Amino acid sequence: MEERKGMAHILAIIPGLAVMIGTLYLLRTFVEPWMKEAVVFGQKGWLVQVLSLNYILLSIIAGIIYRNVFFGGKIPDWAEAGFRTTRLFIKSGVIMLGSLYTLQKLAKVGSIAILLISSFVFGTVFFVLWYGKRVGMDRSMIGVMGASCGVCGVSAAVATSPGVNAKPSEVALAIATILGFGIMTMFISPFIGKALALSDYQFGAWVGTGILNSGQVLATCLAFNPTFAPGTAVAYGEIWNVVRVISIPFVVFIITTWACKAEAAESCSTAGAQMKLSKVFMDRFPIFVLGFFGMTAMSSLGWLGAEGSNTLHLLRDVMSWIFGIGLVGQGAYIDIRELKRAGGKPLRVGLVAGTLKYVVALVVIMLFVSKDASF
Amino acid sequence: MSEKAKGKMTVFKTDRHEDAAAMVFVSLVVAAVLVYMAYVVPTVTIKPNQDGKVVAIKVQQDQEIKKGDLIYTFEYKDKKFVNGELQEKLATKDVLASTNGKVLTVGVKEGDMLKKGKTSIIVMDHEKGTLP
Repeated sequence: MEERKGMAHILAIIPGLAVMIGTLYLLRTFVEPWMKEAVVFGQKGWLVQVLSLNYILLSIIAGIIYRNVFFGGKIPDWAEAGFRTTRLFIKSGVIMLGSLYTLQKLAKVGSIAILLISSFVFGTVFFVLWYGKRVGMDRSMIGVMGASCGVCGVSAAVATSPGVNAKPSEVALAIATILGFGIMTMFISPFIGKALALSDYQFGAWVGTGILNSGQVLATCLAFNPTFAPGTAVAYGEIWNVVRVISIPFVVFIITTWACKAEAAESCSTAGAQMKLSKVFMDRFPIFVLGFFGMTAMSSLGWLGAEGSNTLHLLRDVMSWIFGIGLVGQGAYIDIRELKRAGGKPLRVGLVAGTLKYVVALVVIMLFVSKDASF
Repeated sequence: MSEKAKGKMTVFKTDRHEDAAAMVFVSLVVAAVLVYMAYVVPTVTIKPNQDGKVVAIKVQQDQEIKKGDLIYTFEYKDKKFVNGELQEKLATKDVLASTNGKVLTVGVKEGDMLKKGKTSIIVMDHEKGTLP
């Protein structure tokens, strides 16, 4: 089949996108309200209050069901282009989250976020490089797994792959492992957070550090506290998430340099051999975070309306729809068969690194991050 | 769809294009929301941002109000972590008008309970070109 161009390319997006929007509409209009009223185990709203099944988590679950049940494990051609707008919606939602802050508020927690994220990102990368070598994994697999576990399941794995000569199957394996781990943590984290009486600030900091995917960080924070507003778990978690995303070029540089040094000079990939930090930074910097800071600047100047105003309320409602659409798509990128295939050494390394980061982050946050919110 | 396009996680040529598209998309969405709220929305309903109880209502029907004028005062449970302990105490908060306009209806009176995002406190006609 030929690559679609122009209008045909746009039209091809419509069916899949319609499924994503329609699903979210049904979840928000009928399913979540029903769950809020449903009496389970004698408690009204048990499904939402105890299982944290709000429309955000339901969106991801619906996507998983589409892919693995209705679509038989593969997104069909008629819907694929639409579902590939997933990351556009997630990135747009992250940009809009910038409206939750002012520059002063960001400055208050920014330094703590940078310190924690830097320690955990690079600590995890070095751990995976060491542990992967110890268990005898291929260097290219270690590289993409290090990027996946260290900074971001999808973007960093893809960005690192050319520099370490990783095969597409290795990238897919790393992504599947880390998304699978993220799914698990997404459901258990709200229980742990509530059981340990974490504040929104602590929960956001923990999840933003310990979970490796923007959509999953958001979904987990909203499962803990479903409000989009300053001072809520999602507002704190997203600061950590943005700092983590910004570190992608640095991680790509470190892993590629490590791969090149480890190999003989002649077998080192051209992409890796020519790598300079400034070039990696220019090529790989996720420019959408500039939009996030742009929104924060607009919020600081009061251009988006006063806090508590109807304008900000509508903006946040639109933002929640944008995220919800993206999360239906994100769920549809989780292939359970792929997760089952992600066995052996990569799975072991991914799970050990992911769990270690998740648990150590929780301990550090409980010990060193105050329950009192910074803003 | 070509084999090359299959397996890609974006409809754009590169991640950079997708980032730029996200910024353009958000700019359009934000512009649409701001224009709608400033010029199109016919009336504005002020609802509470948290549960509580009306202590005082300072506006009445057909009253002209200016940005910063006190609309109502409400009482709520303020929950804060102090030295690691969750403390809860009653507090009051003043809610001010975020824009100029005219009060069309007042939906509550002193002593009424407020439900976050549900109770209609006032409906107002705001000055066009401002953000309510």
